[in-house]
Amino acid sequence: MNGWTGQILRVNLTTKTFKIEAFSEEFALKWIGGRGFAVKILYDELAPGIDPLGPDNKFIVALGPIAGIPAPNTGKAVVAGKSPSTGGYGDGNLGTRVAEQLRKAGYDLLIVEGKAASPAMLYIEDDKVEFLPADAVWGKGTYETNDWIYAAYGKGVGVLNIGQAGENLVRYAVVRSLEGRAGGRTGMGAVMGSKLLKAIVVKGTKPIPQADPAGMKKVGYDDLREVNRIDKKTGWSIQSTNGVLAWCNEVAALPVRNFRKTHHPDAWKVDGERLNNARVATYGCPNCTMRCGITIHDDEGRESELDYENVALLGPNLEIFDLAQMGSLNYLCDDYGIDTMSAGCVLSFYADAIDHGAAAGDYGFNDPKGSKRLLGEIARRSSGIGDILAEGSMRAAHKFGRNSIDYAMQVKGLEVAAYNCKFIPGMALAFGVSPIGAHHKESWVITFELKQSVRESYGPEKAQKVVDLQRIRGGLFEFIVACRFPWIENGWSLENYPKYFKLVSGLDWTLDDFWTVSDRIYSLIKLFWLREYPGTDRKADYPPAVWFDPANVDTEGPIAGKHLEFDKYDGLLQHYYDIRGYDKRGIPTKATLARLGTAAEGRAAEKYGKLT
Amino acid sequence: MKITVKLIGPFIQVFGFSEKALDVPEGTTADELIGLVSIDRSRPKIITRNGRAVVPDEALAEGDRVVISPIYSGG
Repeated sequence: MNGWTGQILRVNLTTKTFKIEAFSEEFALKWIGGRGFAVKILYDELAPGIDPLGPDNKFIVALGPIAGIPAPNTGKAVVAGKSPSTGGYGDGNLGTRVAEQLRKAGYDLLIVEGKAASPAMLYIEDDKVEFLPADAVWGKGTYETNDWIYAAYGKGVGVLNIGQAGENLVRYAVVRSLEGRAGGRTGMGAVMGSKLLKAIVVKGTKPIPQADPAGMKKVGYDDLREVNRIDKKTGWSIQSTNGVLAWCNEVAALPVRNFRKTHHPDAWKVDGERLNNARVATYGCPNCTMRCGITIHDDEGRESELDYENVALLGPNLEIFDLAQMGSLNYLCDDYGIDTMSAGCVLSFYADAIDHGAAAGDYGFNDPKGSKRLLGEIARRSSGIGDILAEGSMRAAHKFGRNSIDYAMQVKGLEVAAYNCKFIPGMALAFGVSPIGAHHKESWVITFELKQSVRESYGPEKAQKVVDLQRIRGGLFEFIVACRFPWIENGWSLENYPKYFKLVSGLDWTLDDFWTVSDRIYSLIKLFWLREYPGTDRKADYPPAVWFDPANVDTEGPIAGKHLEFDKYDGLLQHYYDIRGYDKRGIPTKATLARLGTAAEGRAAEKYGKLT
Repeated sequence: MKITVKLIGPFIQVFGFSEKALDVPEGTTADELIGLVSIDRSRPKIITRNGRAVVPDEALAEGDRVVISPIYSGG
């Protein structure tokens, strides 16, 4: 079966056994890979209601047909499981050599089950699997762990590991790989930690089955050079993702002071221009020729790798406008293995809760020293407040009470990424309907809203754009498993992806064929949600209440006096459901499931929740 | 009339300035401003005036802050 290795490696940590299983062509063609494979496996194999931090959850590494093959930005892997932050399906992607090495070892999917008796590391080399002790690095950060692995195996292996946050089941702990960055902000690091699985190391030596390997090699390397040429022309990677910070500040979309403010006169101090000036080195994922990882020296002299999301949420959102101080918080998050975005939102929520009398503590905005201390307490759950904040802002708000849930910046239990939607209806919708919680990777519509529509509109054009972007970003790039940046930042044509798919699989698919797969995957993520939350309704797709609050409006600037309007947002949400073929609760109808080929999965869900 | 022009992201390096104050004729439009500051018209971009998107033939006014940015896609 060209395009896929056709094999799953299933490992059980409880019994220290493994099996190599074949998957069918039907499975491959229906779900393609990555997120598609992961949600189908988890839907079929997890009983509803299991504890995401218990041994019944499964940790999955899923790859796609072009993952690991030299071509634009294919050095990515999807990590997935039931999410400790949302209780629904959760995943994330990260740059890592595991993409190439796991496929060369002969697998498109790794499924880790059970729980080790003591801290463990998996070593996979082709058909060999070793269950090794990891006591030497248990309690250590991700940098030291990664170095420990490289010292034993060399730098050519693929590595996934966790820090103290994953070990201590912080609900927004991530999986790290120094060959890229971090992934799985839905708590995938905690899923690994719950299994006492400190690290996965992979080495493969086999060829990846391809229909036209010579053709793919030529096209892949030519296109890598072309993406590099385009990037040099556009200059995108001069500031990389943090170029957007200054723009967000200008158009009142920057999170400042727990999203209470949308812009700040000091924002320029942490913008892309300043980041580029402070650059120490540049890093990229495997198979990348437009590298986006800019490092600076933090206030303790360590190299810290920054992008827009972590600058905005650990900087202005905490009212910290010093790159070195903010860089230090980012370094700690990376070392502890905590998601930088959720960490920024959780800390800002705590400072806001203290301001509003819902919580007590010696902490506030513009407090880099206190922020460092708290990150350590969260990662280790070493204090009462650290233990509460390790649960995420939604659960902390339930503990604090006093309506603090209204300004806990999260949807479905996952904190929002760094776009302040106080008056950006379409982007608020994008966060609301992201099926894994408020992640920006599914859809990003702000520039469309301002350029092709108008900011005030709650019209169907915005709902359609959210769907279109979900199909590309949350669909195609997550199941074919490649980085979306060549396309979104440098205009690399989407038509290249059916071309690559044909070279590896021999199949002549169109983008429309891919969009059907995207919609199918989204429908199954929604069924997973329904099974976990049979009483779910459209309220699960509402963004944080503070964005609707007239008392929270800006008093000056481009959106002075403006806020989201509830009835209009609800109308926009209905447009989205209508386009998707979902009912009023936001669940796919039976007719939609039949159209997408997920009717059987729907029937399985009906034991738990009603379908219309 | 006096206006301020700010470039965003790589436009700073590509077009050679970060922010500048300009004295432009009354009634200058956003599109005409692009020519005045030698921005490549073929580059995809979004122009905002005091934080709100403008259309190319929109006339600018004294004291405006005009921001010219690549079309970001949100990382």
